[in-house]
Amino acid sequence: MTIALSQIRRCLEGAVPSVLATAAQDGTPNIAYLSQVHYVDEKHVALSYQFFNKTRENILANPRAVVQVIDPADASHYRLQLQYLRTETDGPLFENMKAKLAGIASHTGMSKVFRLLGSDVYRVLEVECVLGGNPVTVTPEPHLLPNLRACLARLAGCSDLAQLFDATLESLAQFCRFDHAMLLMFDASRNRLYTVASRGYPQSGIGSEIGLGEGIIGVAARERTPIRIGYAAREYLYGRAVREGFASSADGDALETEIPFTGLAESNSQLAVPLLLGRRLLGMLYVESPQELRFTFEDEDALVVLASQLAVTFELLSQSAEQHEEPATTTPAATAQGVPLVIRHFAADHSVFIDNDYLIKGVAGAIFWKLVRDRSEAGRSEFTNRELRLDPELKLPDISDNLEARLILLQRRLAERCPFLVIEKTGRGRFRLKVDRPLQLNDVPVR
Amino acid sequence: MHKKTSNSPVLDEQHAEFITQRVSILVASCNADRMPSLTRSFGCRVSPDRCTVTLFLSVPRSESLLRDLRAGGAIAVVFSRPSTHETLQLKGASASIVPIDVDDRARMRTYGESLADDIRQIGWQEPFVSALVTVLGEEAVGVSFTPNAAFVQTPGPAAGRRLEPNP
Repeated sequence: MTIALSQIRRCLEGAVPSVLATAAQDGTPNIAYLSQVHYVDEKHVALSYQFFNKTRENILANPRAVVQVIDPADASHYRLQLQYLRTETDGPLFENMKAKLAGIASHTGMSKVFRLLGSDVYRVLEVECVLGGNPVTVTPEPHLLPNLRACLARLAGCSDLAQLFDATLESLAQFCRFDHAMLLMFDASRNRLYTVASRGYPQSGIGSEIGLGEGIIGVAARERTPIRIGYAAREYLYGRAVREGFASSADGDALETEIPFTGLAESNSQLAVPLLLGRRLLGMLYVESPQELRFTFEDEDALVVLASQLAVTFELLSQSAEQHEEPATTTPAATAQGVPLVIRHFAADHSVFIDNDYLIKGVAGAIFWKLVRDRSEAGRSEFTNRELRLDPELKLPDISDNLEARLILLQRRLAERCPFLVIEKTGRGRFRLKVDRPLQLNDVPVR
Repeated sequence: MHKKTSNSPVLDEQHAEFITQRVSILVASCNADRMPSLTRSFGCRVSPDRCTVTLFLSVPRSESLLRDLRAGGAIAVVFSRPSTHETLQLKGASASIVPIDVDDRARMRTYGESLADDIRQIGWQEPFVSALVTVLGEEAVGVSFTPNAAFVQTPGPAAGRRLEPNP
């Protein structure tokens, strides 16, 4: 019976150690335990190369090998006949295995011993089920396709980006029971990701940022590859990645203008999937769990399909938000009463503080500053995305930068930080700035 | 390669004890084309002089390996304790296929129970545990060989250290 590699993927999760046999030129066999047998595709696996040892010596001299893997559910054994092809020392496959190895190492208390030197790619010549053994009853894994279908149906019903963000995370919780999830957008001009929606955390973390290469999300984003780990490694947790980001931050981003990253303190399973349009990175979809080995290969498949649909829908909705040609109405804004809100804007990085509390910075900060200035100086309260895009002072990045996502970020930060300033959608590509208190503006120019 | 003599086994007493219980045992050989073969062993016994190790193998699970050994292939065996990662690899220039008796069957059962106990310690449960260690009822043979080299392979600084023969 021919067995497809995809049928035995759960043997490759690292739950049970796999074993590799190689042979030297003189025919002396050698056996080694492997940290990882990584599923590359139906015809290839990659094995972790951690030490220059007998195995290494053997495969370079004689590329034939056999690896035995074990099903963690029913203890079935499978043997894979392999042919060594090459070793990769950077790129998506390597980074994926490196992140996974770091998790395995910290899980087994081997952090100091385990370091990935390379990903050895092998062609799978044959998959053999080892005969014998007693049949055991194993609970079948749940089918994910109906859940995925339900998620996709929810996405299809969304008419704007804010709905799309929330529907994505809600449907993941409802249909897939992924209870801790977040969605981040990519700011290509600054090479950073910013959180626009989250679910299942005490703090939303909206507006918090992560650099490319920081933590699982940052590495997966940089490499444009999904990364799934079943044992989280300390060095890949956000808290730490973000703190180290502070330490190495040379771009003048001061600590007090950072929004704390949310995320589980005791996160053990993590799955980060890029939202891609071709090779263009739009953002990241991320789920995590306190349970070890929570996400399966099938979960990863499902999330990758969902992410590709999300990316396309995202692009369609953001374009339609900017195609609205109708100018904003010029109804004068109502006069607000009460103690003025002091709004400070630092032109250097467009960071904005309301009554000394940090709100936002960067492009969203610049947009906010334009809105409150127009409101104060011209009494305007109605705006369109299009006019922001065309505003020469804002100097928005090109069309691929997502203005609508930044407006959602700003809208949500305001909702969390300042109840007196509200951004309300008034139609496709149109919104209103509602102001319930007088504004006192204070611009701090670049020194 | 180091040549052992009959009065200097490469296995010391401590390791001879170690390999008979609470360890996962994997056996490899290779054919004339240097394609390796690999199978699991279900226990072993060590001769009183510690010069011969006899592994117990399920025949249906080990066809290619037995074929390679019959053709004169060399042998490598890894013993690893799941709960501690303690690992030892033995090598032999050749091996012979020998019948096993009722005592060996009893040793296989005892061995299976000890391995099951060890993997339960690190959190494995049924049905995995029983399925992993049960070969009762399968045709089984012994594979006898004389270890000519032993290597400590416990992950860590000493990994790869060769054990020197103890007279």
